[in-house]
Amino acid sequence: MTVLKGATAAALYGSRAKDGVVMITTKSGGRNKGFGVDYNMNFTTDTPLDFTDYQYEYGQGEGGKRPTTPNPTSGVWSFGEKFQPGMTQILFDNKTYPYEPVYNRIRKFYDIGTNLNNTLTVSNSGVNGGFSLSLSNAINHGIMPNNKFDRKIINLGFSQNITDKLVASGNVNYSLEKNINPPQLNTQDVSVATVIGTLANSMPFDALRDNTVLPNGDEFVFSRFLVRNNPYYSMAYKFENVNRNRIFGNIALKYNITDWLYVQGRIAEDFYVRNQEYNIPNGYAPIAKAPTGFVNGSYTQDIRQNIERNLDLIIGANRNFGKIGIDFTFGGNQRYARIDYNSVTVQDFVQPGLYTVMNGRIKDPLYSLSEKKINSLFGAATISYKDFLYLNLTARNDWFSTLAPANRSILYPSVTSSFVFSQALDNLPSWLNFGKLRAAYAQVGSDNVNPYSNALFYAVDNNPFPNPSGLSVPVGGINTSVVPNTNLRPLRIKEAEVGLELKVFDNKLGLDFAYYHKITEDQILAAQISNATSYNSKLINVGRSKNEGIELAVLFSPIKKGDFSWDINANVAYNTSKVLQLGLTASDTIITVASGGGRNLTQVVGKPIGQLYTFMYLRDSQGNKVFDQKSGLPLRNNVLQNVGSALPRYVGGITNTFTYKNISLSALIDFKLGHKMIAGRNTNFQRHGLSKRTLPGRDVGYVIGEGVNPNGEVNKTQVAVQPFYEAINPLGINEDWVSNAGFWKLRQLTLSYDATKHFSKKGFVKGLRVSAVANNVLMIKKWTENMDPEEALVSSDNAVGLDFWPGLPPTRSVGFNLNFKF
Amino acid sequence: MRIYLKFLLGTMLVLSALSCDKGFDEVNTNKINPTSLAPSLILNKAIISTTYLDGGSTLGMLSYNFGIVQQIITPYGSSLSGANYNQLNNGNAAAVWNNFYQNVLKQVVAAVDQTKDKPSENNTYQSARIWKAYSFMILTDNYGDIPYFEAGKGYIDQVVAPKYDAQQAIYKDILKELEEATAGFKTSDPPVVTDILYGGNVARWKKLGYSLMLRAAMRLTKVDPATAEAFVKKAVAGGLFESNDDNSIIRHTSIYNNYIANHLAAREKTNYYLAEPFVDYLKSNNDPRLSIFAVRHVGAKGGQEQTAARANSDPKVQIGMPMGYNDVSISATFAQKGVVSLWDYSQPNLNTVLKLDAPEFHVTYAQTQLLLAEAALRKWIPGDPATYYEKGIRANLEQMALYDAKATISEEAIKTYIASQAFVASKGFDQINTQYWVATFLDGNESVANFKRSGFPALKRNPYPGSELKNEDFIRRLPYPDGEIVVNSANMNEAVKRQGPNDMESRIWWDKK
Repeated sequence: MTVLKGATAAALYGSRAKDGVVMITTKSGGRNKGFGVDYNMNFTTDTPLDFTDYQYEYGQGEGGKRPTTPNPTSGVWSFGEKFQPGMTQILFDNKTYPYEPVYNRIRKFYDIGTNLNNTLTVSNSGVNGGFSLSLSNAINHGIMPNNKFDRKIINLGFSQNITDKLVASGNVNYSLEKNINPPQLNTQDVSVATVIGTLANSMPFDALRDNTVLPNGDEFVFSRFLVRNNPYYSMAYKFENVNRNRIFGNIALKYNITDWLYVQGRIAEDFYVRNQEYNIPNGYAPIAKAPTGFVNGSYTQDIRQNIERNLDLIIGANRNFGKIGIDFTFGGNQRYARIDYNSVTVQDFVQPGLYTVMNGRIKDPLYSLSEKKINSLFGAATISYKDFLYLNLTARNDWFSTLAPANRSILYPSVTSSFVFSQALDNLPSWLNFGKLRAAYAQVGSDNVNPYSNALFYAVDNNPFPNPSGLSVPVGGINTSVVPNTNLRPLRIKEAEVGLELKVFDNKLGLDFAYYHKITEDQILAAQISNATSYNSKLINVGRSKNEGIELAVLFSPIKKGDFSWDINANVAYNTSKVLQLGLTASDTIITVASGGGRNLTQVVGKPIGQLYTFMYLRDSQGNKVFDQKSGLPLRNNVLQNVGSALPRYVGGITNTFTYKNISLSALIDFKLGHKMIAGRNTNFQRHGLSKRTLPGRDVGYVIGEGVNPNGEVNKTQVAVQPFYEAINPLGINEDWVSNAGFWKLRQLTLSYDATKHFSKKGFVKGLRVSAVANNVLMIKKWTENMDPEEALVSSDNAVGLDFWPGLPPTRSVGFNLNFKF
Repeated sequence: MRIYLKFLLGTMLVLSALSCDKGFDEVNTNKINPTSLAPSLILNKAIISTTYLDGGSTLGMLSYNFGIVQQIITPYGSSLSGANYNQLNNGNAAAVWNNFYQNVLKQVVAAVDQTKDKPSENNTYQSARIWKAYSFMILTDNYGDIPYFEAGKGYIDQVVAPKYDAQQAIYKDILKELEEATAGFKTSDPPVVTDILYGGNVARWKKLGYSLMLRAAMRLTKVDPATAEAFVKKAVAGGLFESNDDNSIIRHTSIYNNYIANHLAAREKTNYYLAEPFVDYLKSNNDPRLSIFAVRHVGAKGGQEQTAARANSDPKVQIGMPMGYNDVSISATFAQKGVVSLWDYSQPNLNTVLKLDAPEFHVTYAQTQLLLAEAALRKWIPGDPATYYEKGIRANLEQMALYDAKATISEEAIKTYIASQAFVASKGFDQINTQYWVATFLDGNESVANFKRSGFPALKRNPYPGSELKNEDFIRRLPYPDGEIVVNSANMNEAVKRQGPNDMESRIWWDKK
């Protein structure tokens, strides 16, 4: 595996490399290694972790009353009575249960997940080449009790001399993935995770488990909040299956014209078919009953076919002229990607329980086709002098089919140089073992936009509508809420980096320091616009932003005595960013990239990338909260407030590794610091009465908000408990959930033992390595309420720092790995 | 060596010739979705979208409009709060705005734009102008000053932050548009049979245009009576609806549902109730419409007990939910009102007016006649107000048959009811507009607008103790959506400066005290 950092990776790999490249070189069998067998087994368990800290003083119910009849079906409200010994509650199934807290919902409901992965590799190689064949089988059970994920992969790699000068090599993979019931997240309907997060704190799991459907097969409603479905109902009646058959790989032919000049052609293909089906069950309560003769529900069948094909031709030369070596490559690449998508959703069924598209009443078919091409020409030259001075020059020109004709072409160069001064200079002190200076400047271009973003499209509705005389007439219209842009330009990144690498004191101390400065121009974003324009967003090239930072890695070996060594590897990166220019007109200084429920992620000129904004409580000049005089509810400051940056300034980790003979133990502590998030799921915990913040006022049955009324007098208006705590949700006030998003974690512990030396090289078993690994071991420090800051459901750049629905709990994984060589 | 260099250069040349952008225009052409459609189909989409495309969006109606006029309310708060508590709920208050700008105007503005210079599409052009005027009237009646001249033009003119226009200017333009559109139809053109509203019947489109002109003119009775009177006269001269056959109706189907019905049949099934003032009014007047509007699940102690066996539409058993309670405090009313639980109050009838395929009415003959009755009472038009009034009542009673054959009111019952509602000129404004209130049941936008304008029926202030209203007895407008604060605040703030704070109490231009 090779990691090429940053934009300098781009000349050879093109726009896909704009964030750097992790290149995994697959085995092709090698040369002259003979026959070998390798067996690897990995097993881990995932234990769900509970970061919630709910109140367990007042139980299920609404308005300060516990359920004493099968109605009201509170189910997901914990605004009931104070728990007292001997109290009972009558739940939705009309049975009497003790009125007592139900603790540990996460551990009670979720399973311990398991992941078992077996890989067997056989390889053989001789003078003319070799092959490697591996089979791998992964069997995973998720923590969601009905979730399973299996994957089988066959991989064949080979390299063979056809003639003295012609070499064929390739790598072919076939993988078969089966994902059963991937969890429904970030939504309400049939989302088990959302319900487990918001379930009333005295709801016995037995009551839910035993009462999923009514005698007629309809959903047994357990909460008047109909889209908080009983998790056991969702798991038993809602299904989703995703299967993916994938073939990917490449074949290359390389012809060595002379010993210093070669030409290579390569074809690479990634082809998969992904089948997906899912339903809304018959008898689902939140949707209307079907017309006579049908049962309600829906079923969707999707087929996605994906092709990505790369063709490239490279000519390369490599010659040494005395102390000077020259390595030269020139080539072209054509990338073609196509996605065919077929989907049919049907609604209401003739035959209950038969989820097929033919059995549906209303049929909504959908087909889409998306194609794109990128053509590229590239050249690279490396000149070296005496193994200590290197100069690497590259240039690449891409043409993107997705962009406007005038802007399709982009040329981007790079220059990298390095100087190993510890080799070049004499008279250096003896404690200096290695020293290298490097400097690089690189650009990358990219088209981060979907095909057909240049035009507005219409769609005809699947079903006609009767005109007054009963004639079925067609209906259709504009089918997008994003304003297209006919003039999109490619994104361009310009990055400069300088670095220093040192090894001193018998290589006991190593240091790698880098400073980088990166300008990103013309990023393509869908910026939110006023919906009075009839659209929600507009695709734009958004000006310029700057990233700047330092990265420092220190390797230190404080002890190295005989068989024992202690190594410390610490790294920290500090990054700052600044939006320099934005969007649509020169006067635009702010654009919103994500917003909902009063939580906004925006870009603001002059501030770091990713600013969070939300509504705050209205306050008077002394900072007192202002409450409505009549309703007693908090009032909102109607101007959105900036509450900080969503991207961390500091990221890093410290690994301590202790090695004794063949045993090694290592521990990684990592951190992200200097950023904020809006832990919005607490809005849900508050409106459902689970948050400890909803305790004040419960004993007396009302809350008097601490602050003033709009006339400046001390607020004295009483509000019932539940409406008071529910008020912030519709107002979109998230002030209370703005939090430091940083953390310190004991991320990983690894214990490994290499038993290879106990086996004879001539025996059947030639080597054995065993290791035990634990991940996400311990939360050392966090600031967010009721959650792990890394738990936020949406982590894409366009929604970082925002959170609303509780998701799957994070897990701690513990497992072991066995590796046999035969 | 030289030959190798030639080879090297040759390969580079070949590659350079291959790698360009040949055929890219073809690759980046969407072969599935069209870039244009017949404008009449786009107008059809606008008309269908007017009555909402999903259940959630109807919460604007359910939580605000119906509650303001005290016809349908919910005792529940949080995401359902609104006029039931007279509190701000940003999501529900934005529903009308979001639907009309994003779904209706997107299509209708495109239809107008694509037909304006095409003589062959003239009648579709005029129809689209009428629909655009109708849509903007709903928006401005709810929110006051709104983006109008620059609205819906995110694509056409690349306007991303449209200016807000004063309601006075908007109404002036709406009246102008209606006047020009109605005059612009050509009966000689072949009918646009793909038109879902009137099947291309130009005479009916013209009547709709003039009936809307009457509606728009009557909105101005307080603020600008001279303009109101002038346009009432123009509308009458142009020709209004002449029977229920002319009504502007969306005939929902089992596929294109009535989404208020869909939402109340499922997700909010046990949450919305008929309000006491509405039920009491209908009951005390022996109104034959009560049994069509209402159903009560007598004795239901919970949502699950709202079964077909308990359903009763007999007017005598109907009990409306009193105004001013939440789901907890409502229990104090059970004994006095004679119900066993909140689920025992009367609800809108899902077998008649809110069947999944029940039609919805945009503008009706009944409403037009009632507006004429008021115009006659004001002596703006000739004729006896009582005659218009009776015709209006009759038309609405007869209109019930359009919901369902079993909702047909017998001629005898119609006569009895009309006889009981004798018109008295001194109480004329009250009588006419109270009938208008009933005749706009389930068209919350129109019901609220006419109630604000006329002040009738004389509803009592919702006594909910947590009301946020300070100076007004009723919600006078809906606040602008939060999205506008986020991305269009400069323009929005200009409107706020002109119109008053962005709350539920600032009165819009035509809503003079």
